Amino acid sequence: MNFVGYGMDLAALLPGQTLAEAELVVSQQAAEAYLTAVGDSSRVYIESRLVPPMALATLALAAAMRSLDLPAGTVHTGQELTFAKLVKLGVRLRYSAMVEQNAVRRGLRFLRLQTRVTHQGQVVVHAATSLAIAGGH
Amino acid sequence: MEAPLQVLATVVHSVSQDQLVRYADASGDHNPLHLDPAFAAGTTYGEPIAHGMLVLAFLSEMLVNSFGLRWFDGGKLQVRFRAPVYPGDVVTAGGTLQTQSAEDDWTVYRVACTNQSGVEVITGEARVPRTPRGY
Repeated sequence: MNFVGYGMDLAALLPGQTLAEAELVVSQQAAEAYLTAVGDSSRVYIESRLVPPMALATLALAAAMRSLDLPAGTVHTGQELTFAKLVKLGVRLRYSAMVEQNAVRRGLRFLRLQTRVTHQGQVVVHAATSLAIAGGH
Repeated sequence: MEAPLQVLATVVHSVSQDQLVRYADASGDHNPLHLDPAFAAGTTYGEPIAHGMLVLAFLSEMLVNSFGLRWFDGGKLQVRFRAPVYPGDVVTAGGTLQTQSAEDDWTVYRVACTNQSGVEVITGEARVPRTPRGY
Protein backbone atom coordinates (compact mmCIF):
# COMPACT_ATOMS: atom_id res chain seq x y z
CA MET A 1 0.00 0.00 0.00
CA ASN A 2 1.61 3.22 -1.10
CA PHE A 3 0.17 6.56 -0.23
CA VAL A 4 3.13 8.59 -1.40
CA GLY A 5 3.31 9.89 -4.91
CA TYR A 6 1.00 9.78 -7.84
CA GLY A 7 1.25 6.15 -8.94
CA MET A 8 -2.28 5.94 -10.24
CA ASP A 9 -3.64 8.05 -13.03
CA LEU A 10 -6.69 9.36 -11.23
CA ALA A 11 -7.83 11.12 -14.37
CA ALA A 12 -8.33 7.75 -15.99
CA LEU A 13 -10.90 6.58 -13.43
CA LEU A 14 -14.28 6.29 -15.09
CA PRO A 15 -17.75 6.38 -13.50
CA GLY A 16 -18.91 2.83 -13.06
CA GLN A 17 -15.37 1.47 -12.89
CA THR A 18 -14.89 -1.24 -10.28
CA LEU A 19 -12.03 -0.55 -7.87
CA ALA A 20 -12.18 -3.56 -5.61
CA GLU A 21 -14.31 -6.61 -5.10
CA ALA A 22 -13.78 -9.51 -2.71
CA GLU A 23 -15.22 -11.77 -0.09
CA LEU A 24 -15.28 -10.61 3.49
CA VAL A 25 -15.75 -12.51 6.73
CA VAL A 26 -15.71 -10.69 10.06
CA SER A 27 -14.71 -12.82 13.01
CA GLN A 28 -15.56 -12.11 16.62
CA GLN A 29 -11.91 -11.23 17.18
CA ALA A 30 -11.98 -8.70 14.33
CA ALA A 31 -15.25 -7.24 15.59
CA GLU A 32 -13.87 -6.87 19.10
CA ALA A 33 -10.70 -5.26 17.74
CA TYR A 34 -12.83 -2.76 15.83
CA LEU A 35 -15.04 -1.96 18.83
CA THR A 36 -11.99 -1.52 21.05
CA ALA A 37 -10.39 0.74 18.45
CA VAL A 38 -13.42 3.05 18.26
CA GLY A 39 -13.86 3.00 22.02
CA ASP A 40 -17.31 1.42 21.93
CA SER A 41 -17.71 -0.56 25.15
CA SER A 42 -21.22 -1.79 24.34
CA ARG A 43 -21.52 -5.58 24.35
CA VAL A 44 -24.70 -5.55 22.26
CA TYR A 45 -22.97 -6.68 19.08
CA ILE A 46 -20.86 -9.43 20.58
CA GLU A 47 -23.62 -10.78 22.82
CA SER A 48 -25.96 -10.91 19.81
CA ARG A 49 -23.16 -12.29 17.64
CA LEU A 50 -23.64 -9.46 15.17
CA VAL A 51 -21.09 -7.69 13.00
CA PRO A 52 -20.93 -3.97 13.85
CA PRO A 53 -22.20 -2.39 10.63
CA MET A 54 -19.78 0.50 10.92
CA ALA A 55 -16.98 -2.06 10.87
CA LEU A 56 -18.28 -3.36 7.55
CA ALA A 57 -18.45 0.12 6.07
CA THR A 58 -14.94 0.82 7.32
CA LEU A 59 -13.41 -2.37 5.96
CA ALA A 60 -15.03 -1.95 2.55
CA LEU A 61 -13.96 1.67 2.31
CA ALA A 62 -10.40 0.86 3.36
CA ALA A 63 -10.22 -1.75 0.62
CA ALA A 64 -11.44 0.79 -1.91
CA MET A 65 -8.87 3.35 -0.77
CA ARG A 66 -6.05 0.79 -0.94
CA SER A 67 -6.91 0.17 -4.58
CA LEU A 68 -6.25 3.85 -5.32
CA ASP A 69 -2.82 5.40 -5.01
CA LEU A 70 -4.11 8.57 -3.43
CA PRO A 71 -1.67 11.46 -2.95
CA ALA A 72 -0.94 13.05 0.41
CA GLY A 73 -3.30 15.95 -0.30
CA THR A 74 -6.42 13.81 -0.34
CA VAL A 75 -9.20 15.01 1.95
CA HIS A 76 -12.19 12.92 3.00
CA THR A 77 -14.88 15.55 2.65
CA GLY A 78 -18.12 13.68 3.05
CA GLN A 79 -19.68 10.34 3.82
CA GLU A 80 -23.07 8.75 3.36
CA LEU A 81 -23.99 5.45 4.94
CA THR A 82 -27.17 3.44 4.55
CA PHE A 83 -27.66 0.44 6.77
CA ALA A 84 -30.04 -2.20 5.47
CA LYS A 85 -29.71 -5.19 7.73
CA LEU A 86 -27.63 -6.75 10.45
CA VAL A 87 -25.60 -9.89 9.85
CA LYS A 88 -24.07 -12.48 12.11
CA LEU A 89 -20.37 -12.79 12.83
CA GLY A 90 -18.58 -15.28 10.62
CA VAL A 91 -20.98 -15.18 7.68
CA ARG A 92 -19.59 -14.79 4.18
CA LEU A 93 -20.10 -11.32 2.84
CA ARG A 94 -19.04 -9.64 -0.33
CA TYR A 95 -17.85 -6.08 -0.76
CA SER A 96 -17.47 -4.06 -3.91
CA ALA A 97 -16.25 -0.55 -4.59
CA MET A 98 -16.69 1.55 -7.68
CA VAL A 99 -16.20 5.05 -8.98
CA GLU A 100 -19.40 7.06 -9.05
CA GLN A 101 -18.01 10.41 -10.07
CA ASN A 102 -14.67 11.85 -11.11
CA ALA A 103 -14.48 15.55 -11.84
CA VAL A 104 -12.02 18.44 -11.71
CA ARG A 105 -13.15 21.87 -10.57
CA ARG A 106 -11.02 24.87 -9.60
CA GLY A 107 -7.83 22.86 -9.51
CA LEU A 108 -9.23 20.11 -7.27
CA ARG A 109 -10.16 16.60 -8.28
CA PHE A 110 -13.41 15.39 -6.74
CA LEU A 111 -13.89 11.67 -6.49
CA ARG A 112 -17.05 10.01 -5.26
CA LEU A 113 -16.83 6.30 -4.52
CA GLN A 114 -19.63 3.84 -3.92
CA THR A 115 -18.99 0.84 -1.72
CA ARG A 116 -21.41 -1.92 -0.97
CA VAL A 117 -21.38 -4.91 1.34
CA THR A 118 -23.81 -7.71 0.52
CA HIS A 119 -24.89 -10.96 2.10
CA GLN A 120 -26.34 -13.58 -0.22
CA GLY A 121 -27.02 -10.87 -2.76
CA GLN A 122 -28.80 -8.54 -0.34
CA VAL A 123 -27.29 -5.19 0.54
CA VAL A 124 -26.12 -4.93 4.14
CA VAL A 125 -24.37 -1.58 4.03
CA HIS A 126 -24.10 0.96 1.27
CA ALA A 127 -21.66 3.86 1.41
CA ALA A 128 -20.86 6.87 -0.70
CA THR A 129 -17.53 8.56 -0.03
CA SER A 130 -16.53 12.00 -1.23
CA LEU A 131 -12.86 12.85 -1.65
CA ALA A 132 -11.13 16.04 -2.71
CA ILE A 133 -7.61 15.76 -4.08
CA ALA A 134 -5.32 18.74 -4.49
CA GLY A 135 -3.02 18.37 -7.44
CA GLY A 136 -4.58 15.04 -8.30
CA HIS A 137 -4.99 15.76 -11.95
CA MET B 1 -46.92 6.47 18.42
CA GLU B 2 -44.55 7.72 21.11
CA ALA B 3 -43.01 11.14 20.74
CA PRO B 4 -39.50 11.11 19.27
CA LEU B 5 -36.48 12.07 21.32
CA GLN B 6 -35.78 15.79 21.04
CA VAL B 7 -32.15 15.70 22.09
CA LEU B 8 -29.99 12.62 21.88
CA ALA B 9 -27.71 11.63 24.75
CA THR B 10 -24.15 12.53 23.84
CA VAL B 11 -21.14 10.29 23.58
CA VAL B 12 -17.72 11.66 24.49
CA HIS B 13 -14.37 10.27 23.39
CA SER B 14 -10.83 11.44 24.01
CA VAL B 15 -8.78 10.67 20.92
CA SER B 16 -5.20 9.44 21.30
CA GLN B 17 -2.42 8.50 18.92
CA ASP B 18 -2.54 4.99 20.35
CA GLN B 19 -6.18 4.86 19.29
CA LEU B 20 -5.27 5.83 15.75
CA VAL B 21 -2.79 2.95 15.65
CA ARG B 22 -5.40 0.50 16.96
CA TYR B 23 -7.95 1.81 14.50
CA ALA B 24 -5.52 1.50 11.60
CA ASP B 25 -4.92 -2.14 12.45
CA ALA B 26 -8.62 -2.88 12.92
CA SER B 27 -9.77 -1.06 9.80
CA GLY B 28 -6.94 -1.73 7.39
CA ASP B 29 -6.42 1.99 6.80
CA HIS B 30 -2.72 2.61 7.40
CA ASN B 31 -2.56 5.96 5.64
CA PRO B 32 0.59 7.59 7.14
CA LEU B 33 -1.39 10.82 7.51
CA HIS B 34 -2.94 9.17 10.56
CA LEU B 35 0.12 7.37 11.89
CA ASP B 36 3.42 8.99 10.91
CA PRO B 37 4.27 12.36 12.53
CA ALA B 38 7.07 12.97 10.07
CA PHE B 39 4.77 12.34 7.11
CA ALA B 40 1.94 14.38 8.59
CA ALA B 41 4.34 17.28 9.27
CA GLY B 42 4.69 17.65 5.50
CA THR B 43 0.94 18.08 5.02
CA THR B 44 -1.34 21.02 5.72
CA TYR B 45 -2.40 19.34 8.96
CA GLY B 46 1.08 19.45 10.48
CA GLU B 47 0.55 16.40 12.64
CA PRO B 48 -1.37 13.11 12.45
CA ILE B 49 -5.14 13.39 12.32
CA ALA B 50 -7.84 10.90 13.18
CA HIS B 51 -9.44 8.78 10.49
CA GLY B 52 -12.76 10.31 9.43
CA MET B 53 -14.52 6.97 9.82
CA LEU B 54 -13.19 6.68 13.39
CA VAL B 55 -14.84 9.94 14.39
CA LEU B 56 -17.95 8.95 12.45
CA ALA B 57 -18.11 5.78 14.56
CA PHE B 58 -18.72 8.03 17.59
CA LEU B 59 -21.87 9.31 15.88
CA SER B 60 -23.05 5.80 15.16
CA GLU B 61 -22.41 4.78 18.78
CA MET B 62 -24.49 7.75 19.91
CA LEU B 63 -27.35 6.70 17.64
CA VAL B 64 -27.26 3.08 18.83
CA ASN B 65 -27.31 4.29 22.43
CA SER B 66 -30.48 6.25 21.67
CA PHE B 67 -32.31 3.89 19.33
CA GLY B 68 -30.79 0.49 19.81
CA LEU B 69 -29.94 -1.80 16.94
CA ARG B 70 -33.04 -0.72 14.98
CA TRP B 71 -30.88 2.22 13.95
CA PHE B 72 -29.21 -0.21 11.55
CA ASP B 73 -32.50 -1.45 10.10
CA GLY B 74 -32.64 1.16 7.37
CA GLY B 75 -30.87 4.02 9.17
CA LYS B 76 -29.00 6.54 7.08
CA LEU B 77 -26.19 8.95 7.90
CA GLN B 78 -25.15 11.80 5.65
CA VAL B 79 -22.28 13.93 6.91
CA ARG B 80 -19.60 16.41 5.94
CA PHE B 81 -16.17 16.40 7.54
CA ARG B 82 -15.61 20.01 8.56
CA ALA B 83 -12.37 20.03 10.52
CA PRO B 84 -9.60 17.59 11.44
CA VAL B 85 -9.49 15.79 14.77
CA TYR B 86 -6.07 15.56 16.39
CA PRO B 87 -4.75 13.21 19.08
CA GLY B 88 -5.54 14.90 22.37
CA ASP B 89 -8.87 16.24 21.15
CA VAL B 90 -12.02 15.42 23.07
CA VAL B 91 -14.92 14.79 20.71
CA THR B 92 -18.58 14.95 21.68
CA ALA B 93 -21.14 13.31 19.39
CA GLY B 94 -24.71 14.52 19.69
CA GLY B 95 -27.95 15.07 17.85
CA THR B 96 -31.15 17.09 17.94
CA LEU B 97 -34.53 16.45 16.38
CA GLN B 98 -34.79 18.16 13.01
CA THR B 99 -38.00 16.93 11.39
CA GLN B 100 -40.69 14.41 12.04
CA SER B 101 -43.66 13.49 9.97
CA ALA B 102 -46.72 11.43 10.78
CA GLU B 103 -46.69 10.09 7.22
CA ASP B 104 -43.03 9.18 6.92
CA ASP B 105 -41.35 6.14 8.37
CA TRP B 106 -38.40 8.27 9.44
CA THR B 107 -37.38 10.70 12.11
CA VAL B 108 -34.61 13.05 11.05
CA TYR B 109 -31.94 14.34 13.41
CA ARG B 110 -29.25 16.92 12.95
CA VAL B 111 -26.08 15.26 14.17
CA ALA B 112 -22.65 16.65 14.89
CA CYS B 113 -19.31 15.88 16.45
CA THR B 114 -17.77 18.80 18.29
CA ASN B 115 -14.27 19.17 19.71
CA GLN B 116 -13.28 20.58 23.08
CA SER B 117 -13.14 24.08 21.60
CA GLY B 118 -16.71 23.88 20.35
CA VAL B 119 -15.65 23.44 16.73
CA GLU B 120 -17.96 21.19 14.76
CA VAL B 121 -15.69 18.62 13.15
CA ILE B 122 -18.51 16.62 11.57
CA THR B 123 -22.01 17.82 10.76
CA GLY B 124 -24.86 16.08 9.06
CA GLU B 125 -28.14 14.31 9.27
CA ALA B 126 -29.32 10.95 10.54
CA ARG B 127 -32.55 9.37 9.34
CA VAL B 128 -33.78 6.95 11.96
CA PRO B 129 -36.36 4.34 11.02
CA ARG B 130 -39.46 4.64 13.16
CA THR B 131 -40.68 1.09 13.19
CA PRO B 132 -38.52 -1.39 15.08
CA ARG B 133 -38.25 -4.86 13.63
CA GLY B 134 -37.33 -6.61 16.78
CA TYR B 135 -33.56 -6.90 16.78
